[in-house]
Amino acid sequence: MTPSTVTPRDTGTRSRSRRSTRPARTARYNRREALAGYLFISPWIVGFLVFTAGTMIYSLVISFSHYNLATNVIRPAGTSNYQELLENPKVATSLGNTLFYAVLAVPLEICFALLLAMLLNGVGRGAGFFRTVYYLPKMTPMVATASMFLLLLNGNTGAINQGLRSIGIDGPQWLVDPGWVKPSIVLMTLWGVSGTMVIFLAALKNVPRDLYEVASLDGAGPVRKFFSITLPMISGAMFFNVIILTIHAFQVFDQAYLLFWRDQNNAAPDASLFYAVYLFQEAFRQFNFGFAAAMAWLLFVILMILTFIQVRVGNRFVYYEGGR
Amino acid sequence: MRKRRAAFVAAGVAAALAATTACGSGSDNGGSDAANFEAKPSGTMSYWGFDNPDDVGQARLDHAAKQLDGVTIESDQTGFDAQKFTTRLASGNVPDVVQMDRELVLTYAAQNLILPLDTCLSANKVGKDRWYPSVVDSVTYKDQIWAVPQFYQPPAIILNKTVMDAAGVQDTDIDTSNPDKLLAAIGKMYKANGDVPSTLGFNPQAIGQTNLWLVGMGGRLADENGQPALDDPNNVAALELLKKIVDAQGGFAKYKSFTDSFDMFGEKNQFVQNQVGAEVDAQWYPNVLSPYKDKIKLAAVPFRGKDGNPVTASSGTSFVVPAKAKNPAAACRWALALTEDGSWTAAAEARAATVKQKNSIDTGLFTGSPVADKAIREQFVKPSGNAGFDQVISTYYDIVDKGKSVGASPAGQQIKQELLNALTAALLGSKTAQQALADAQAASMDAYKTVTGG
Repeated sequence: MTPSTVTPRDTGTRSRSRRSTRPARTARYNRREALAGYLFISPWIVGFLVFTAGTMIYSLVISFSHYNLATNVIRPAGTSNYQELLENPKVATSLGNTLFYAVLAVPLEICFALLLAMLLNGVGRGAGFFRTVYYLPKMTPMVATASMFLLLLNGNTGAINQGLRSIGIDGPQWLVDPGWVKPSIVLMTLWGVSGTMVIFLAALKNVPRDLYEVASLDGAGPVRKFFSITLPMISGAMFFNVIILTIHAFQVFDQAYLLFWRDQNNAAPDASLFYAVYLFQEAFRQFNFGFAAAMAWLLFVILMILTFIQVRVGNRFVYYEGGR
Repeated sequence: MRKRRAAFVAAGVAAALAATTACGSGSDNGGSDAANFEAKPSGTMSYWGFDNPDDVGQARLDHAAKQLDGVTIESDQTGFDAQKFTTRLASGNVPDVVQMDRELVLTYAAQNLILPLDTCLSANKVGKDRWYPSVVDSVTYKDQIWAVPQFYQPPAIILNKTVMDAAGVQDTDIDTSNPDKLLAAIGKMYKANGDVPSTLGFNPQAIGQTNLWLVGMGGRLADENGQPALDDPNNVAALELLKKIVDAQGGFAKYKSFTDSFDMFGEKNQFVQNQVGAEVDAQWYPNVLSPYKDKIKLAAVPFRGKDGNPVTASSGTSFVVPAKAKNPAAACRWALALTEDGSWTAAAEARAATVKQKNSIDTGLFTGSPVADKAIREQFVKPSGNAGFDQVISTYYDIVDKGKSVGASPAGQQIKQELLNALTAALLGSKTAQQALADAQAASMDAYKTVTGG
């Protein structure tokens, strides 16, 4: 029964009162619900405002300033820090290195993680054990991983080159030869690919089995099943991983810093100077906080543009279960 | 309703902004005005960076604690970290005294992040003559002393007589003032498996001891005013000589990979394994080698400058008092107590006890103070019965007053980084030494202008 069909005679005073108070009660209830919701998420909102939005805005202010750490005083600098981004050759070098790394690392990480996930997805007994083993590298502190890779990648005595030498290949000088520095960092990145692998594994588990059964009945082979069923069905996870890995690739710091730049008395080739490492050096070794903040904003803008392009392009290829 | 909500959000953002930008409303006087080094040390004092003290360090800490009776001393024994230091300075929560490498001091001084210590020294009646002149120079900026220096580790060349004798190379052949003779000796000792080095004729420590090569060839990092001088022609000559030495031994990539694989502190070190015929090493390294005295046959020669005279370069650490330190008087007294003669005597006694216990050799302590060095040598450094080791120890004592400075600059950290970049490019052959140093000079000048506001 809709309100328009109810007459005053039918309902009496009580009904009239109920009719007038119901929307008010609903509104009060909704407000209380909304308030409770806001209260529940308020720790995140406060954290976001203070530690993310606040600091971002502060860094934007600093990027147009000269900041003196000793006195905590900010002097206006106009756009000079942004002009220096164009004039400083190391910005272009570090950005080029980072771009090269991202182009190399992201596709390899996606392929390697997907391969591992498919292997794990096919394991029956002992799947939990293998999942744990494959995830262990992600749990290993980066410093320990870097120490291990320093030994593994030594051009003369490292295990990788010794292995290559045993099959007649003279391996490269991974950590010294400028042409091999970035691939060596990509190798180290691949060691920690299990986070991406887990996301792929979860997506693979959600692909309906009956699709494969039907395809088998139609005579499809493993390759056809992969490209026609698996890949479209996990395209959402693929899309997510590509975006996240691209952002991570542009922010790469730990690997390069630990392998090449931690020791200030070490000599490192220009090929290992990544954008985040140079930003760190400018901020915390040279105290050019204004310039470093401008560098951070440039990176932010680059990542926003890249992510926008990825979303626009990716949406054409991503299958969303239940539509968008 | 929407307008009210928008206003609420806007107010929240404004409050957050105000909270964050309020950080920028401090006064412009750094905090050095408040430093009072003349007060009697009291209260609580915290130090940072004096990490993992060995027998020598612990004896000095104990000695200093006794000199600061009534002061509670707190420690953060992690190593110095630039980011941590910067963050602590920004928050105002700084330790009272920090140990850092002397090469970093002037960079922090130029930013007013640490306090000048002339008043600290005068209040405690300590003269600059406590230290070698080159040591004092390394912490002096704008005619003020910015750190209490400690240690002076002069480098010299340790000879592996086993390798040299087998190749028929004499001590006099390892002469850095005569590149042709040196390169010939290197050629006799260098060995490789295929194209992978197995024995270096001479490890010049191209990266770790670059300053020595610069001063040896008459070069410098900065001029008298602290301005970068990386494009000095003598620096170019030093890098070109280093490239010749490295190229004679497989090239930089193979040389570096090989030296990176040395078990430098272990029982399979490069001398025990005969992986080097000769090597540039700082004074502390014979102490590392002394437990293996029965397995190695050593001698030493000084590094010779292009004029043929022995030369060495200053390096070491120091104590600085950060701007905004809460107890500068105690910090100053503590740093000076750690570097006074009594502290070094206690350290030498502790080292002598360790040497006796381990049946190794006392190679002496190089404190940065000429008086303490002389006293320790006379009292503790005795003939060991190993003529080679004794000659090595004696060589280091002979060169300690031959130190030269590469020059100090407020952009010192950037200059050093640019030098290492140039060195890598030159040794890899991606740039000529001259071009690499010219590029490094340009980058250093930019940093210098930023630091000095020029």
